[in-house]
Amino acid sequence: MDSPAANAAFAKQINVKFTLLSDMNKKMLTSYGILKGHDVQGDTYEWAQRANIVIDKNGIVQHIEEGDSAVNPNNALSVCTDLHKKQSAK
Amino acid sequence: MKRALAAALVLTALPVATLFSASAQKEEVAKVSLKVGDPAPDFTLLSDQWKTVKLSDFKGKKNVFLAVYVLAFTGG
Repeated sequence: MDSPAANAAFAKQINVKFTLLSDMNKKMLTSYGILKGHDVQGDTYEWAQRANIVIDKNGIVQHIEEGDSAVNPNNALSVCTDLHKKQSAK
Repeated sequence: MKRALAAALVLTALPVATLFSASAQKEEVAKVSLKVGDPAPDFTLLSDQWKTVKLSDFKGKKNVFLAVYVLAFTGG
């Protein structure tokens, strides 16, 4: 939900080697069902659930982790490694 | 006769209103609808370099690791 400008500043600050995407209109978060609503005194506040999702070359979801378990990316990374091995063996 | 007609309209309107409020509530608290094995919905998002990135551009080419990271650019 951060803007591309905020993401660019963050990318520069921590020197990331991957692309940071911005979902300002929350379309992707909504279609993936990871946008959560919380009612506080009649107002609804929305935020994105933390999540790790692995999608294979065919566009099929192979791994989903959400919430606290998604803080650690190691499970998702090992799924990526396994996928790569399987695809290379074919 | 007019009164009877008005009463009938209110009664039929009630179940419709209940249906609407139930569907609105569902949308407010979205569940993670996606499951392993599902086709990933396509999306087009802006990168930190202001370029559009489309999920379907990677189809047949690369596996994709999406990390949804909340409030990354904050001091907390």
